[in-house]
Amino acid sequence: MKIKPVVLDRIQTRHTSFEVDFILENNITFIVGDSGTGKSAVFSFLQEMAAEDKRIRCLNYLDQKRNYRNTIRQSRGKLIIIDNADILLDDAMRWYIATDGQNQYIIIGRNPTGLMLKQNEIMELSSQTYDGKTRFELMHSF
Amino acid sequence: MITVYKKKPSPNDLELVTLNDIFFNKSTATRMDDRAKEIIAKIDQSEMLSPYAIASRFDGMKLNIDKLSTGCKTALNILYNPDKVFDIRECGDNALDVIYALPSGNVYCDYPLISFDMDKVMVRDDRSVREVESYEALKEWWAQ
Repeated sequence: MKIKPVVLDRIQTRHTSFEVDFILENNITFIVGDSGTGKSAVFSFLQEMAAEDKRIRCLNYLDQKRNYRNTIRQSRGKLIIIDNADILLDDAMRWYIATDGQNQYIIIGRNPTGLMLKQNEIMELSSQTYDGKTRFELMHSF
Repeated sequence: MITVYKKKPSPNDLELVTLNDIFFNKSTATRMDDRAKEIIAKIDQSEMLSPYAIASRFDGMKLNIDKLSTGCKTALNILYNPDKVFDIRECGDNALDVIYALPSGNVYCDYPLISFDMDKVMVRDDRSVREVESYEALKEWWAQ
């Protein structure tokens, strides 16, 4: 289900020598890719950003026992960033997210089943290291 | 060769580990030896500097081993803990290639998650344990 982002169409942050610059084309951005490409590192940088930006909420495996489903259901006008989605999101939550027009999502995982995404909504991380600095961007996976 | 489960093992069988990061950080990380070096290099393209340190693939900085990817931690969990079953749902294709080539270990996923480079695996379900020798046959078993 392809709709425009309802919270942010770009997210930029810096963590020491790491820079994140994501252009968000759709309301759900699903990020896939090989292990070790920096997905969880980027999540930790965005977690840091969330401490200063109340529009952003971050959830990962550490929230598994913390009623994260209610956190998502009670959110309005948030960019919800979910790492470890293959563990956290069951079929019901995937359906909720797919039909939620009030929040925006960045989801890091492997299996986008149930989110009703088109191929061009599935992204991969692209990283470039130059002069000791690493920059992360998104590119289409297909 | 590894053994593949498509249903969660019963409580009387082997323990299932779903949160691979936590299990690695609390248990496997304390038992790393030279066998881990090759796996870390293959999956995360990082050098293992000491039992608790790696060099970042991005800038070469020395990092604690807890910064390994979940896929890499899962492969190491499987290698070092043949008495447990590990959920592989978070593994990227590069981690799956390594996991399917391990000499032993147990993995679980309730949908097909297969390395294109797989050779032979054991599959285990309610009815039997048997050997499967091809990608297509393994995919078919998962679909049954």
